[in-house]
Amino acid sequence: MAMIIDKETLEHVASLARLEITPEEEGPLLGDLERILGYVAQLTSVDTSAIVSKRPAMTELRPDEPGEGLTRETGLGGAPTMRDGFVVVRNVMGGEDE
Amino acid sequence: MSSELPRTLEQYRHAVRAHELSAEEYLDETRQLIERGDPQVKAFLHLRLDAARSDAQAADPSSPLAGAPIAVKDNIMMAGERCTCGSRILEHYVAPYSATVVGSLLAAGAVVPGKTNLDEFAMGSSTENSAFFPTHNPADLSRVPGGSSGGSTAAVAAGFALGAIGSDTGGSVRQPAAFCGVVGFKPTYGLVSRYGLVAFGSSLDCIGPIARSVRDAAIMMNVMAAHDPKDATSIKRPHVDFEAALQPTLAGKRVGIIRELQGLDVQPEIAAAMETARKAAVKSGASIVDVSLPHILSALPAYYIIAPAECSANLGRFDGVRYGLHEGGRDMTETYSRTRNAGFGTEVKRRILIGAFVLSAGYYDAYYKKATSVRQLITDELDAALQSVDVLLTPTTPTTAFRIGAVTDPLEMYKADVFTIPADLAGGPAISFPAGKDAAGLPIGLQLMGPRWSDAEVLSCANVLFTALGGES
Amino acid sequence: MFCGCSTAFGDEPNTHVCPVCLGLPGALPTLNAQAVRLATRIATALGCTVHEVSEFSRKNYFYPDLPKSYQITQFDRPIATGGSLPIVTERGARSVRLTRAHIEEDAGKSMHAADITLGGETLVDFNRCGMPLIEIVTEPDMQSGDEAYEFLRNLRRLVRWLGVSSGDMEKGAMRCDVNVSVSPDPEKLGTKVEIKNLNSFHSVKRAIDYEEQRQAQCLSGGTPIIMETRHFDEVQGTTTSMRSKEASNDYRYFPEPDLPLLQLDPTELESMRAQMPELPWEMQSRFERDLGLSPYDAALLTEERSTAEFFQETIALYDNPKKVASYMETEVAKLLNERGMTLAQTRLTPESLAGLLTMVEKGTVSNTASKDVLPMLVDAGVTPSEAVKSLGLEQVSDTSAIEGFAREVIAENTTQVEQFRSGKETVLGFLVGQLMKKSKGKANPKLAGDTLRRLLK
Repeated sequence: MAMIIDKETLEHVASLARLEITPEEEGPLLGDLERILGYVAQLTSVDTSAIVSKRPAMTELRPDEPGEGLTRETGLGGAPTMRDGFVVVRNVMGGEDE
Repeated sequence: MSSELPRTLEQYRHAVRAHELSAEEYLDETRQLIERGDPQVKAFLHLRLDAARSDAQAADPSSPLAGAPIAVKDNIMMAGERCTCGSRILEHYVAPYSATVVGSLLAAGAVVPGKTNLDEFAMGSSTENSAFFPTHNPADLSRVPGGSSGGSTAAVAAGFALGAIGSDTGGSVRQPAAFCGVVGFKPTYGLVSRYGLVAFGSSLDCIGPIARSVRDAAIMMNVMAAHDPKDATSIKRPHVDFEAALQPTLAGKRVGIIRELQGLDVQPEIAAAMETARKAAVKSGASIVDVSLPHILSALPAYYIIAPAECSANLGRFDGVRYGLHEGGRDMTETYSRTRNAGFGTEVKRRILIGAFVLSAGYYDAYYKKATSVRQLITDELDAALQSVDVLLTPTTPTTAFRIGAVTDPLEMYKADVFTIPADLAGGPAISFPAGKDAAGLPIGLQLMGPRWSDAEVLSCANVLFTALGGES
Repeated sequence: MFCGCSTAFGDEPNTHVCPVCLGLPGALPTLNAQAVRLATRIATALGCTVHEVSEFSRKNYFYPDLPKSYQITQFDRPIATGGSLPIVTERGARSVRLTRAHIEEDAGKSMHAADITLGGETLVDFNRCGMPLIEIVTEPDMQSGDEAYEFLRNLRRLVRWLGVSSGDMEKGAMRCDVNVSVSPDPEKLGTKVEIKNLNSFHSVKRAIDYEEQRQAQCLSGGTPIIMETRHFDEVQGTTTSMRSKEASNDYRYFPEPDLPLLQLDPTELESMRAQMPELPWEMQSRFERDLGLSPYDAALLTEERSTAEFFQETIALYDNPKKVASYMETEVAKLLNERGMTLAQTRLTPESLAGLLTMVEKGTVSNTASKDVLPMLVDAGVTPSEAVKSLGLEQVSDTSAIEGFAREVIAENTTQVEQFRSGKETVLGFLVGQLMKKSKGKANPKLAGDTLRRLLK
């Protein structure tokens, strides 16, 4: 039977989630995930063709008024590196980190 | 003094208002219990007993909670206190603001002795997934207290607090309440604010009270239930006095038993407790109705798609940039991975990976989208069933507390949530109340569920059964 | 979009922050009512179908300026779809169709240390993180850099017209990414290439022009176009390939559980539609068509809504659109430029401008003198009559007074009088000038000329 999740897929998903899987972790993790995903896959046999999603709507929106904020210290006091009020991170190019 | 120490919030409040006892005195007694017992139980991650003492001294006896010690699960923010979520990634994180519910409790006179242990990021059913240490069930220290709010339920069971708050996503307030022999209530989703609760499964998470009696849970709900403009999923409801709404009988009530759950493997004593409860319900004037929920067993798999999906996004913010653990790398990608690898435990990683998988291109429709449809199906069925009954009665868990380290298979751990998960999916109120003990003396919990917004009703019915089955009054 | 922090521009970094926009544990988003209103206004003006029910989604990716590691946006069910924006270029007039418009939150601001000596760091400021954005996506209808430029100009005009945004790319109020594809087959679109780092309308045009050439060259050379994101180099005017990465980021969109559905009130939508002001391009066409203004004048007057409304109010009081247009574009514009002010910042009113122009037409004040009156109207906000009086500029149109001056001029300038009588028409100008001098510039020049001519017969 075809595996739901193979090593390559696991690596891809891990990279999407910014998690590194060590070689020791890989085997047991693949096993666990295969069984869990196999278990939840039973849902495919449930007939949901007549189901209509019923999400509620927001009852009121927030007025455009200034709210209580945090000071830089309180909000970012735990940041690992700050300089001149900025949060400092390793250089990233362009748009989203890929 | 000790022999006459109030055992419930209600008794405590009465004593304080009658000047028989001060908040400070009570806290001193509680402190002794904590100092003697918590090294074995390990319910708390952090204690703030000196600060609590000042708070108790300043407490107003006429306030709803009158200085009572109420413990807070460590995934709920309390300004100035650490909030670790049981994780290394937040090991040293100090909350810069308080959750709305914590604010309400403090304003109502609650005194917080400390933050309680939990499964990391509320993912687990035993509190063994805490990155720091497991909590031990006060009923039997070799066993788990349940999870993920195991620290909170253990604290209440052991007398370290008169009440506690926890979070319930798949049963994390009710299941540990059952294991520890206390009351655990999950309100209707949207009744209690989630602002300040570190999110795990956003559409499922509920903050709920843990207490020694159902009346105590109702007293706490009076403080906790309020619309919060900071939480867009918080719903404005007409005011209800949950304590005043407690009725003494089940006269005219219809109690439903779910047909499809009858075939499940359940510990004999728990099945027996169900029988006892049925009889007590009938004796109190209720009729028992057989109810069918054809897809109830699909709730578990649906949950284990939806919750991980939401958590995979919710835990993205833990990246070491603005707060929390930071492990540097050669570039940003490496920094992220190293930080998250070092910070997250195995169960959390598992769920994030499942979540990312079920949301990823090519799998979204078959997994996530399908699961949300199944969720709606189950909700529709529950809603329909709850038109012919007032409440549904089930066990809270298939077994009583297992030994620490006994359950290592994650899937086996997940499957124990079979009774609690449906209420999280449908959003309705559900309560676990103590219903005796098994042969080994371990607590048994039974559950009542009701339609959304019937919180007062569920509390009331639970109170009747709780009392009938010998609960604290 | 989702918190109450100030969106002030240029303040100390990380001083307008809160748990929500910092993505602190336990924080939750709440939707800004005004952002929804403004977005609905734009969408309505663009002729979009505004959906009563729309949904928010999470777009998941990791970047230091994205605190939650997801952006709250709208994916499956945006607030608006369809719509269009007209543009006019040398190629003619066309309508650019829109695919959709949706609302979302902005990320923080990252500043990359371009200078390698700074240690390869990025500095992040979360001040305006969470700023409400409306993202408008067009169909691939535009065919040149010029068209894109005009599209942006017209869009900017519209958002300013509606009071929704300044539309200034320099202040970060508008930003733009383009997708360009070149194809030899008019029926089939080519591979699209995305271009980022476009900081002005001009850059957009330059980037498109460059990319168009690049792709054309590739194709004629037999090289296929790679679907990728390219970086626009402002200095060189070229696009360069960014760090190549195989698959595009999988954003794993799913409905935002922290926000229920957005449901708009159909009555409010209807009243918004009904109260929509005449749109700039509609007014522009109407000025050309019904008022006979030139395309240039019509465009200039409808650049800003306040200018257009001023113009309309003025012509309601003084019905000569061409004169008003001309006066506003020359004298008024000159003064505004000198003072570095906008029309709204001055004290000039449609009443005072109309009044002045009426006085000129009636001859109460000469056209030349009016240029001295105008500054007073602009600066002091007095009525034209008050200004004329205080400057002593009433034009003399009293026929007997002018006749008196004329007789004096004729008596004093016999040579020129002889010249005129013998056929030299042009010398009349000299005589008129003398009369003007005598009257200290106050004589009505036309009347002066006519009077002289009559007396010299």
